[in-house]
Amino acid sequence: MTETPTIAPGPAAQRAPAPIEIDDDATPIVRLLGRTLRDAVRLGHLPEVFDRGIGTVAVRSHNTPQAATVTLCDGAVTVTGGVFAPADATLVVDLEARFALTQDPDGDADLADGVLRALQHPLPSWQAAAERFWEVTRGIRGIPDVLIAVAQGPDGPQEARFGSGPTTYRMVGTPDALAGVFTGADYLLTSLDSGLRVQGTLSQVSVMTAASWKVRFDV
Amino acid sequence: MSELTPSESISSAWKVPTKAIRLEATGHDGSFLGKTITPAKFASGKESGFAFADILFAIDLGDEFVFGDAFPDWRGNLYDISMIPDMDTLVEWKPGLGAVIGDYWLRDGRPVPICPRNMVRRLVERLRALGYTATVAVEIETTLFEESVQQARARGYRDLTPLGGDTGATYHLARSKDWVDYMEAVTDRLDELGITWEAWTDEAAAGQTELNLAPTDPVALGDFWVRTKQVMREVAFEQDRTVTFMAKPTAGFGQGAHINLSLHRDGENQFFAPDGPSEVMLQAVGGLLTTMAGNTLLSLPQITSYRRLVDISGPPTTISWGVNNKTAAVRAIVGHPKYSRLEYRLPGSDVNPYYALAGVLAGVVAGIERRMQAPPQVDDMAWCLPDDTGVERVPDSITKAIAALDGDEVLREYLGDEFVDFWVASRRWEWMEFHTKGGDPYAELSAWESRRYFEFP
Repeated sequence: MTETPTIAPGPAAQRAPAPIEIDDDATPIVRLLGRTLRDAVRLGHLPEVFDRGIGTVAVRSHNTPQAATVTLCDGAVTVTGGVFAPADATLVVDLEARFALTQDPDGDADLADGVLRALQHPLPSWQAAAERFWEVTRGIRGIPDVLIAVAQGPDGPQEARFGSGPTTYRMVGTPDALAGVFTGADYLLTSLDSGLRVQGTLSQVSVMTAASWKVRFDV
Repeated sequence: MSELTPSESISSAWKVPTKAIRLEATGHDGSFLGKTITPAKFASGKESGFAFADILFAIDLGDEFVFGDAFPDWRGNLYDISMIPDMDTLVEWKPGLGAVIGDYWLRDGRPVPICPRNMVRRLVERLRALGYTATVAVEIETTLFEESVQQARARGYRDLTPLGGDTGATYHLARSKDWVDYMEAVTDRLDELGITWEAWTDEAAAGQTELNLAPTDPVALGDFWVRTKQVMREVAFEQDRTVTFMAKPTAGFGQGAHINLSLHRDGENQFFAPDGPSEVMLQAVGGLLTTMAGNTLLSLPQITSYRRLVDISGPPTTISWGVNNKTAAVRAIVGHPKYSRLEYRLPGSDVNPYYALAGVLAGVVAGIERRMQAPPQVDDMAWCLPDDTGVERVPDSITKAIAALDGDEVLREYLGDEFVDFWVASRRWEWMEFHTKGGDPYAELSAWESRRYFEFP
């Protein structure tokens, strides 16, 4: 059975994690980059990228004006909105496709490759992602009492159930699609266009959108 | 006496043949919405109401569903709500066409909690219970362009020619006839519709015009305000011109909508005192300033609204007040039993008029009910104040304003949790759409904003 791999915390997770700072009042792309890099740090993914000395990477959306600058400096990472100075490297990516490159990177190839790989860290299992999603989004006003996730893999459907109460929300998709939405790697409404299926009211789609913002953008 | 047919009944009131009735109301973004129905249909539903899908509170200006909150129980899988016309607003819009403004009601007879007009009505009633009647007026700012709306659309609403000349000015009478013709046609229509205007003049920016509506009851003022905008649009269509209420239609300048308010009891202006602001005025100021950060999301509802907030350019940037101080957010006009009033200078021209009025009334009612104290007035220029003065700045982005309203317990009480939750979510949606669908926060004005806000609201 194909399943999204679970990433065990590596050695870097046992030492002080690299701080990831973002702007006050940050734009969505800055929040997305910051949240993704924090997840990478939390998972101990590619610590050598964050330990690199100094460098700036411009990250641009391939189809909108969204842009941000990732600055590495002595183990700390800062993400700021816009690109206002020449960067050491430039990545042009599809923000709706887990930072898939849409053109060759420009500038410092090693730096660009490291930051891109940090942004594209493997996702946890869909069950682990669902559990964390449930924890993070429980506080949103009006969130359904019960979340049922059904993963449709090659060995048949597997179900995970969280919470109890009268209002239920059901999400059905591939393990990868579920992991993508539950981690915030994918946006709920975009995932509905690419095969994820949901069962609930229009109101629940609305509040689950807020939940998707929470895990994707920390909003 | 035999009953008149619906058509005859309406016609007899106007003494003209009536072919149709237009039902009118605003959605949440302030766009003037409605539909046109036959006299027979109108007669059958004028008391019970007309079904409108709740989608009118769920679609953004780009026609996308607005998501982000848990709907209240009256919203679900596209339920219907009732729009009940207020017959006091029935007018003959043009020969053969009646027009009437209505409110949105639930099937159980309660007002829709986020219905813009009902929100004003509720706060007027709350003020009346305290023994006061409010009188409000508004200064409507707008910008006119020579091109037709079709030409404007073809150009993406860019590089248009200001009507009346390329220079901004104020009070100049040397304006070209095209601009004068437009405004005279507008005021003629307002006269025909019984909308009392007081003045019009050019404004500080090229093509910009200010039209002042006369003081009246807040609900009526809201009605006149939205209808005046509709008149200005219709006259523009007729004359192949373009008009916009966008807060900042070009990179160069913005436009506001100042609300002037006074309170009366037994015919006496309660804001008047011989030696300056009355105690009631000071309490109202206290309420308006206490709620100003949260009210910013109603006064500055769109992404572009915040582009106006530039120090020393007109709009207020600090949560401040002062006697006859137009650099402050609230200007107190004092010393006259007739003219003593408060001018709330925060709203942009792109507000939903009813929500903006509701926000101001909520601040005033809260100030009086809770006997709030006005902070020290600002005698100096209220722009660019140092931090150590203790005068806070107006939230200068939609996200800061979202946070301010979300956490404003006073406005939650007076506007209702349901409205606040709805509005916070809808504005967060707007922010997300702007950033992820093509808006550029670092441009002076992005094409996405022009497409979204130039024609609506």
